[in-house]
Amino acid sequence: MTNLSAVEGMIFNVQHYCIHDGPGIRTTVFMKGCPLRCLWCQNPESHSMCHQIFFTAEKCAGCGKCIPACPIGAIHIQDGKAVTNRNLCQSCGVCTTVCLHEARNMMGTRVSAGEVFNKIEQDKIFYEESGGGATLSGGEPLFQSEFAASVLSLCKKAGIHTALETSGYARWDILQLVLPYVDLLLFDLKHMDPSEHQKCTGVSNELIKDNVIRIYHQQKKPVIIRIPVIPGYNDSLENIEATAEFVACKLGASVPVNLLPFHRLGESKNERMGVQGLLFNSIPPSEQHLKELKEIFVSHGLTVQIGG
Amino acid sequence: MNERVKKLKQRLYVHKYPLCIEKFRLITKSLEKTEGDPEILRRAKTLANVLDNITVFIEDDELIVGNVASKPMGLEIDHDYGTWSQEEIDALKEEGYTISPEDEEELKTLNHYYKGKSLVSRMGEILFDNERLWPFVQSGMVLPPWKSKGEGSGGGYAQGGMGLGPGLYLMGIDFAKILNDGLYKIIEEAEEELQRVKYIDADSVKKTYFLKSVLITHKAIIRFADRFADLAAEMEQRETNAVRKQELERIAETCRRVPAKPARTFYEAMQSFWFIFLMITPSPTAAAGRFDQYMYPFYKKDIAEGRATDEDVLELLECLRIKDMQLNRVSGKLNRQKNSGMAKWHNWTIGGVTTEGEDATNELSYLILEAAKDCPTPHHTITVRVHEKTSDDFMLKALEVVKAGVGMPAFIGDKSYINFFVNNGVDLRDARDYIVTGCLDANLPGKSRTASIAMFIVPLVLEITFHNGVEPRSGRQIGLKTGALEDFQTFDDLLEAFKSQLAYFMELNAERDNIELIANQELLPDPVRSSFMVDAIKEGKALLDRTMPFENGAVMNPVGMINVADSLAAIKKLVFEEKTVTMKQLQEALSANWSGEEFEEIRKMCLEAPKYGNDDDYADLIAGDLYKFWAETTATFATALGGKHLPTAISITAHGPGGEMTGATPDGRYAGEVLADGTMSPMRGMDSGGPTAIIKSAVKIDQDPYQATLLNMKFHPSALESREDLLKLSSLIKTYFKFSGKHIQFNIVDRATLLDAQAHPEKHRDLVVRVAGYSAYFIQLGRAVQEEIIGRAEHDLQGVAN
Ligand code: SF4
Ligand code: SF4
Repeated sequence: MTNLSAVEGMIFNVQHYCIHDGPGIRTTVFMKGCPLRCLWCQNPESHSMCHQIFFTAEKCAGCGKCIPACPIGAIHIQDGKAVTNRNLCQSCGVCTTVCLHEARNMMGTRVSAGEVFNKIEQDKIFYEESGGGATLSGGEPLFQSEFAASVLSLCKKAGIHTALETSGYARWDILQLVLPYVDLLLFDLKHMDPSEHQKCTGVSNELIKDNVIRIYHQQKKPVIIRIPVIPGYNDSLENIEATAEFVACKLGASVPVNLLPFHRLGESKNERMGVQGLLFNSIPPSEQHLKELKEIFVSHGLTVQIGG
Repeated sequence: MNERVKKLKQRLYVHKYPLCIEKFRLITKSLEKTEGDPEILRRAKTLANVLDNITVFIEDDELIVGNVASKPMGLEIDHDYGTWSQEEIDALKEEGYTISPEDEEELKTLNHYYKGKSLVSRMGEILFDNERLWPFVQSGMVLPPWKSKGEGSGGGYAQGGMGLGPGLYLMGIDFAKILNDGLYKIIEEAEEELQRVKYIDADSVKKTYFLKSVLITHKAIIRFADRFADLAAEMEQRETNAVRKQELERIAETCRRVPAKPARTFYEAMQSFWFIFLMITPSPTAAAGRFDQYMYPFYKKDIAEGRATDEDVLELLECLRIKDMQLNRVSGKLNRQKNSGMAKWHNWTIGGVTTEGEDATNELSYLILEAAKDCPTPHHTITVRVHEKTSDDFMLKALEVVKAGVGMPAFIGDKSYINFFVNNGVDLRDARDYIVTGCLDANLPGKSRTASIAMFIVPLVLEITFHNGVEPRSGRQIGLKTGALEDFQTFDDLLEAFKSQLAYFMELNAERDNIELIANQELLPDPVRSSFMVDAIKEGKALLDRTMPFENGAVMNPVGMINVADSLAAIKKLVFEEKTVTMKQLQEALSANWSGEEFEEIRKMCLEAPKYGNDDDYADLIAGDLYKFWAETTATFATALGGKHLPTAISITAHGPGGEMTGATPDGRYAGEVLADGTMSPMRGMDSGGPTAIIKSAVKIDQDPYQATLLNMKFHPSALESREDLLKLSSLIKTYFKFSGKHIQFNIVDRATLLDAQAHPEKHRDLVVRVAGYSAYFIQLGRAVQEEIIGRAEHDLQGVAN
């Protein structure tokens, strides 16, 4: 038997006191790597499995200390700010250690499941009082299935409630590795139409739909459906109607639905990573519109809330 | 808010606050006439002279009457706390206060009368030529620094309230007894006792003076209420509006009855309460105690008998909030820095357990919260006692008020608060009846009082340890010689040296406290508050002349302890473990205030060292050890009132001026920068794990020995949107208290709002924030405090969905 604690993976954050990622007070582990490329992605740092340099221009004092530190000369100063040649940069991280202004940070840490579990366990007293636990998020946690399974299994052994936040885009045998240790799934449904789904996320949705039905009916796992509401992309009344119909008929009226309104956090993140964002243009939905969408779910007998 | 409350509230926003001298004048006259009388009798007569002659008025729409100063929204110059220099008066005029030219002139004469008779000069008699104590009080280690012999420390006060000093006592009187028995009962008891005194010792003579002074003051209080009854009756005659006519009639009847006789209705109880509250102010720390408990029987009876509805009660509770807002206060410049924003801590304690250990929450507890939400004034403040059985509903109600953004209520944990008393030998039933006085300190109503609360700036001691007992900026040897830096071979050597210095200065603090206590005892005996303490008439002694059932006369209060803990953690790691920096280099970097490339790098290393507030044992255990040392050391010093010093840990806003005096510290802090706020809160920006990590760190500190501790958290509104969010926050609070945390309070404001308020104060006159145990209008705070509130770790919730 493998030593669960030793299994390694890439994460980019462990966030404590999360109150919108499942029941109670939770600790959410953000894992790197994702097979989807949603146009509206709020966590672009999750896409790649590699380390990345995160540069916050507002903090950079233009002191130039990082220039000689870089072993391959990937940095120069332009208009008083450090500029990194991302084609050269090896993400070795040396420059982050010399910057006195916290302008350069490394995104992504290689950690063992045991280390992640220790961080989760730190907040055990809060899970007990609030009915919370751990949530794996990302990125797509199933992208690192063995690691995810190890972390979750350690949690289960310690009596900690587990949730998995997933796009559901994974082969069934991968899901089967992880599901036994999951108490609750926060399952994204981004679009009902396969070709629109393909356009918005880079992949089709057949597998996703099959998976959620199997998880819910066959594996009898509790599921919460989460729908990002992205004006201009998936918020048409037809699509929302189709989504509500799918949840109500294919899953069941007792499956809770969360509507997650779009916001703009992701934009500056792309900039900080020196990554060209995908062509995308949307604005946060109005309250009125959200209410309208909410009504559609209600008319299908579903319980729906705005926000996670 | 109904129309009445709206109108009353609107009148609180005045352009200028009048400074008044009527009370000062009346006091002076009386003091001249009573020269030579025993001090306590003199003060009783003085109070009577004020109550019999000061201007009284009833404002339109008022239901609860009793003006706090001779002019609406006025502040009376307080004669008890030093004199107002021209410079101070001028400064006040610039800051939005007015004084008429005649009054300003007269004030100079009045001032003259008090030369050399203040508390400050009384303390000075001992301090000035004491070789240990004078440099100590000058150093500012106990705030504020006492700059020169003439000046004293901080200047005078002007404030609302009809009673006499002393001001900053932390105590609660027995309101239940007053409301239920009335003052006549106490007068009767005092008269009987007076006849029983046998003159066999010094105490019996003193007892006579005490009892006589109680008779004088209590009769005067009744006459004072009668003046309002007369006035209301007179106004009623002239009033043409039928509704108001009826109200005035009721006011007249009520003031004729209370506080002389027992209150029969909720309305009478409220009016009685307010008259008595006026007598225990001016005091920024006058506490209402367990208001929801002793007022409940009146409420219940009124409701049962159909005399009042919840709306009526709510209106009165809101009127009381307005009344409390009229009790303004301003102090000398130096104290203004220490306690910004018209600081006062008129604390109403609600919830908690009964003396039998059951949940004490009742309908009135909810209404008191509703009044704060509906009529969001910064005062009075509310503290919610939380215990295992506190219902979700009540927590939700309290959190809704927090969410409304008035920075209240504060939450405190019954478990640790009760442990504090029980561990100090108090009977469990008494302990369960504790109340919050001042910011967060616990007291037993009628059974204990804290009269000396020094703010001790701990990082200054670390600095002095670095300089072998020398105060670096003055060059004076004010501490012990604990060894040069090179002598410290191990971390423990350094820690040992620091602790010896600390214990040495703490003892000086304790001595200073005793001098203050006795000066207060001799100069400011207070028959009124004394008479409302347990067995007061039988004991026949003033507050500070007796040893109370629970004796906590002086508490010692460490400010900036977290900066020292973080500093020591950095030193331990960098100097003694990793050996990447030497003590000498570190000291040079501190002296240079981190400027210079080499020193900036050292600062970076210091910043990256473990910090308290991240659930990392490395720094947390050091913090725990320091707080333990402080608590144990404090308890070794006797007080002049017959007990021992007790530890408390609230910093109010002392971390601001305390930080200003302190040079760079090894936690990476620059010279002059504010210290960590609260006492359980991490240094600003040094926590990265969020609220749960802070709480995990805080519960590693044994808080039970402390009379109070303080943990501030600022939440973004997004953390409190839904009912579920509030329940989660509630469980966070309960978890903290389950593990013996004492206190937590939240500021719910987003950054943008605060920044906008700085830029456009006129648009945000209503914006209330929590400063430290008290709430204040944001725009009235000094710039530095504003910046700090903006900068306080904001636990915005990330972890957004994809
Ligand atoms: S990134 Fe940091 S080290 Fe580089 S120039 Fe900017 S401030 Fe200096
Ligand atoms: S991460 Fe390494 S290669 Fe990339 S810029 Fe920094 S020092 Fe250069």
